[in-house]
Amino acid sequence: MSELVLQMKGINKYFGSNQVIFDVNMDIPKGAFVTFLGPSGCGKTTLLRMVAGFYEPDEGEILLNGNRIEKLPPYARNTAMVFQEYALFPHMSVYENVAYGLNVKGVAKDEIKRRVTEALELMQLKGMEGRYPNQMSGGQQQRVAVARALVMNPEVLLLDEPLSNLDAKLRETVRVELRQIQQKMGLSTIYVTHDQAEALSMSDLIVVMRKGVIHQIGNPMEIYFQPKTTFVADFIGTTNLIQVNGTAAKTVAYGDTLVKVYKETDKGQGYCLSIRPESAGLTTTPVESKVNIKGTITNKMFLGEKVRYFVNDSQAKEWIVDVFDPGKRLLSGEVYVSFADEKAWLIDEAVIDKEE
Amino acid sequence: MKEKNTGHEQTGWQTELKLLLREPPLLASILVVFALFGVFIIYPFIKILLVPSAADWTRAITGKEFIEAFCNTMFSSLLATTTAIIFGFIFAYAINYTDMPCKRFFQVVALLPTMAPSVVSGLAFIMLFGRRGFITWNLLHLKTDLYGAFGLWVVQTIAFFPLAYITISGVLKAISPNLELAAQNLGARGWYLFSTVTLRLATPGLASAFLLVGINTLADFGNPMLVGANYHVLATEAYTQVVGAWDLPMGATLSVFLVIPTVLVFFVQRYYLEKTSYVTVTGKPVAGLIRVTCGPVAKWALFAFCCFMCTAILLIITVVFLFAFTKTFGYDWAFTMDHFIEGVMQSTVMHNSWVASMSTAAITTLFGIALAFLTIRKQFPGRVAMDFLAMLPVSLPGTFIGLSLILAFNDGPLTLTGTLWIIILGMVLRQMPVGYRQAVAGLKQIDKSLEQASTNLGANSFTTFKKIVVPMLKNSLSVSFVYSFMKSMNTLSTVIFLVSPEWNLASVNIMSLSDHGFLATASATACGMMLTIFVTFGIVKLVLRDKINIFDL
Repeated sequence: MSELVLQMKGINKYFGSNQVIFDVNMDIPKGAFVTFLGPSGCGKTTLLRMVAGFYEPDEGEILLNGNRIEKLPPYARNTAMVFQEYALFPHMSVYENVAYGLNVKGVAKDEIKRRVTEALELMQLKGMEGRYPNQMSGGQQQRVAVARALVMNPEVLLLDEPLSNLDAKLRETVRVELRQIQQKMGLSTIYVTHDQAEALSMSDLIVVMRKGVIHQIGNPMEIYFQPKTTFVADFIGTTNLIQVNGTAAKTVAYGDTLVKVYKETDKGQGYCLSIRPESAGLTTTPVESKVNIKGTITNKMFLGEKVRYFVNDSQAKEWIVDVFDPGKRLLSGEVYVSFADEKAWLIDEAVIDKEE
Repeated sequence: MKEKNTGHEQTGWQTELKLLLREPPLLASILVVFALFGVFIIYPFIKILLVPSAADWTRAITGKEFIEAFCNTMFSSLLATTTAIIFGFIFAYAINYTDMPCKRFFQVVALLPTMAPSVVSGLAFIMLFGRRGFITWNLLHLKTDLYGAFGLWVVQTIAFFPLAYITISGVLKAISPNLELAAQNLGARGWYLFSTVTLRLATPGLASAFLLVGINTLADFGNPMLVGANYHVLATEAYTQVVGAWDLPMGATLSVFLVIPTVLVFFVQRYYLEKTSYVTVTGKPVAGLIRVTCGPVAKWALFAFCCFMCTAILLIITVVFLFAFTKTFGYDWAFTMDHFIEGVMQSTVMHNSWVASMSTAAITTLFGIALAFLTIRKQFPGRVAMDFLAMLPVSLPGTFIGLSLILAFNDGPLTLTGTLWIIILGMVLRQMPVGYRQAVAGLKQIDKSLEQASTNLGANSFTTFKKIVVPMLKNSLSVSFVYSFMKSMNTLSTVIFLVSPEWNLASVNIMSLSDHGFLATASATACGMMLTIFVTFGIVKLVLRDKINIFDL
């Protein structure tokens, strides 16, 4: 995975006087499934459209297999895209839709037939060649859109929130299929989504963005367990973010409680700790060799496989703690929130949300 | 047209009737609408079919001059419509698909002719290329003129180009940019992209634009009268029969022949094209994205074309202004207000036109929304018939509407001939489909759940209508108001049979003044008309405090 398919260097983009992309740099290895993840308006789709050539970056370079492409028109790049609303040609049958790009390229008729048939089979659309988009369900249209892009054998396949118009159940199925096909074909893929579960479950690499700034690039585990900013920690999953102070050693202080962390801290400097709800436990007595914080249960939610407790500590900070396999008896009253030191992840306040 | 599933869908007409009987106000309003349609649409149209005798029909079919007029009409309107549509398409494509300079200017200029009756094109043509035309006589010293089929073709092409442009521009705007992006993304470009995606998607819309422009050229009365010379068409022939020979039945017969092709096309459009239309909801507009699909060569070719069209239009307007405000243009260039005073200030026609058009605009807008509310939001037997009748006049040439009205209301209990009412009636019939269609489109955009939410929060139907529906429809209503007003001011073929010495109109005056050679006064009247329309727009804009932009129509 060392060979790079796509590189972005110092990309800036303005819409009018409004800067929407801030100094984006990234390297995408060949064959990787990369997800651009972020809330709406974070610039992920803009970035994707720049790869496709619908926008030109105002500054910076985009390299596809080592060649600069940022000034090439969309039709001269082999970056087939699946649109959020599919954008199937309503006046063409499924077959014509999928064959469109190959026809443009002037591929021989029998090869078109072979490749289209193959793509349709892969997307389980066999027998629907003659249908028109308006005669198909959303899920089927989505498959046609993917087939139309796949058949082009693109250098990099672009997917713009392709599952957002499907219902939850279907979304999960298509997600698995899409990932399988991508892995089978070894296709470099960029996937845009605002759904963190989708990103975690499919990606080799996640690019977390907010307001046009990349907060972190990393594999799903890094993103989840070692968030670089509070935004990443908060956006991916649920977490408890607590304000702590450095002590000049490898510990930070939360009130009187000390927590060991993985690196030296500066005395008096503010830091943030992220503790996932599933990493903490609730006990009636303090647990030895763990960090214990005393608090009162203020609310609880029974969620089946777990109970989610809301606990207020002496600093009026609300903690969320998940207790799995809870049985029928629920806790209440005064408790200790306890977690092992290594479960608390330290985030430097200095690098947080610099754009704000 | 697909309706949203309202839950009432499966019920038969008996159930609909039962539901209807439980709501007397609704029942009453439906009956009133049908009564109005019966008296003012069905009755006149049946009457015009019954007036001609068998001898009239035979004469019309066998008479050499009538066959000739029929063939002439078909030929000239087909030709002019085709060129107007092609020019309109190229222009609309240039505006919507390129990043050429001066776009805003082109857009405004292309719509200027809609501020004046289409006959002004004919008037300008006389002044430029007529027997004493400025170009043919003063500049080139030619003794010829370009009257006849060729002149008519040129004049009608320019006169109906703006209509073609507006309609096609709407069609192109409705095409989702995502589809073209997708095609580009798959490698398509230039001509291939245009022919496989853009043109194919626009075809149904182009067909209805063709119909719309076609009806207008078929019904066009003023231009053939002015520049047709010996080239007779049905509209002028019918006029000659009625006004010249006072042979109403023969005029009626001829106008029926004018209707046959348009009604035919109307049915084709309604039942065929609407089913194959590709109005797609895919894709929201994306910020900063302009569809640029053509290369520099195509772009500058399109630019040159736009310049050419705008020059032609500006030439027309300039010559009209010059004639209006000089003593005798071409000979005596001294500035004068005489023509303006004579044609506009001392004449009642401008006032009459304004009153009739304002009334028409108010009636069509209000009636349109009431009709649309019934057909879109309510279920009742006869709903489809109501929708059909409301849209029917769109396919009828103005001359036919005008003639059928004087035939129907010449005598009897409801004698309207010679009054202002019959003029307003004709204008309303002609404009109703526009107001109705605007209201339908607006209402369809308002999800029913919004009204349900309002009712759910305790508002009754009337409050809901006033506080939710009307504010949300405001924009499309003001567009249809302005549009009806403008069209009514400019219409000639609809009112040519309806005016009387007492109630004459500006558009008719422009035509008859030009026809009798009073070119300067005619020009001055045309200028007065543009001025009136502009001032009225300004007032409407101020009153409504709206962002409506007539140039975005």
